[in-house]
Amino acid sequence: MVGSNRVVLGTGIVHVTGDAKLPPAEEKDLRRKLVQQALDALQSNEKR
Amino acid sequence: MRIAHYLNQFFGGIGAEEHAGKGLTIRDGAVGPGKLFESLLGADDQVVFTFICGDNYAVENQAELTAAVLEKLRAKKVDLFVAGPCFEAGRYGMAAGALCRAVQSELGIPAVAAMSEGNPGVDLHRDALYIIDSGSSTVKMREVLAKMAKLGRKLIVGDAIGVPAEEGYFRRGWLRDQLVEKTAATRLVDMLLAKMRGEPFESEMPPTAFVPVPIPAAVKDMSKAKVMLITDGGLVPKGNPDRIEGTAATRWGSYNIKGRDDLRAEDYEVSHGGYDTRFVEEDPDRLVPLDALREMEKNGVIGKLHDEFLSTCGRSNPLSNTRRLGREMLKKVKQEGVDAVILTST
Repeated sequence: MVGSNRVVLGTGIVHVTGDAKLPPAEEKDLRRKLVQQALDALQSNEKR
Repeated sequence: MRIAHYLNQFFGGIGAEEHAGKGLTIRDGAVGPGKLFESLLGADDQVVFTFICGDNYAVENQAELTAAVLEKLRAKKVDLFVAGPCFEAGRYGMAAGALCRAVQSELGIPAVAAMSEGNPGVDLHRDALYIIDSGSSTVKMREVLAKMAKLGRKLIVGDAIGVPAEEGYFRRGWLRDQLVEKTAATRLVDMLLAKMRGEPFESEMPPTAFVPVPIPAAVKDMSKAKVMLITDGGLVPKGNPDRIEGTAATRWGSYNIKGRDDLRAEDYEVSHGGYDTRFVEEDPDRLVPLDALREMEKNGVIGKLHDEFLSTCGRSNPLSNTRRLGREMLKKVKQEGVDAVILTST
């Protein structure tokens, strides 16, 4: 991951912040979780 | 031949760091390393003038400095523009590279710079310029200037320029045809055998080198931060108004999302030839997670979601191009007071 500690692994190339296999409500929960991970990474100086 | 030379305040003999804020001085004739450079050239060659500028001034007033140098060179023609050697001095390297690039593209005057490999000027300008590898030690000054002189002379008279290893410049990412004695298979086996014997060998496909980018400090208070969404997945409004190419994109766009809680399928399309775009076209939030971030804005998790998202297509794009796109986006990000960016990449 090119040395950065602020990379969050998305669900896949075709839907980075979603998952077409999930029902809409669950997909949105997943998206909230991924965005929260990104915000957590932005607030951290730790190497992960 | 007539040569113009660019030096920073230190090598130009004005002074050390305390003079880094000094503006441009133009001296007639050679100064400092320029005198040594002149001695390595032919009897008819001379450094006709030397531009000297403080490092801080140069990077903070790049446009003014470039304009002043170009104006002088339009009035008094030269055959070659040289800058440095800058060794490890980063601000010096960035200014030298930018000036060489401008002189070359605006005036058609060949330019040569010299820097150490880690100098940020190399990464910024190696695609456009011949930059001699100076190493980091000023002890090599004479040797570096000799390489600059040799290459500069070839550029002026139009002689063929050798490969980077022969001339001592940083690879520019060019491919060129060359006749060789052995086939690829034989060369490859030779390399493999050398590797097994622990002998030195040279790959014909050196990997792209990235200069490490320092990680910015963490956002202290996200509830006060302005967050922006950027994507390289090619999401664009219907009709692709900025005509962002689906491969090797040369452009990016910024698209208004003010007052929207969700990205609707009917408003967007995807310009990207590198992945199956149907899922994102079905629901663009799968690439640009507006709905989730808007909720977080309303709940006070983030201070504000920026009113526009930026988008380009990251497929099969040369580094020289993506770096420019990145720099252009960065300018907007800074101008608009954005504190944090979430960039989604396919």
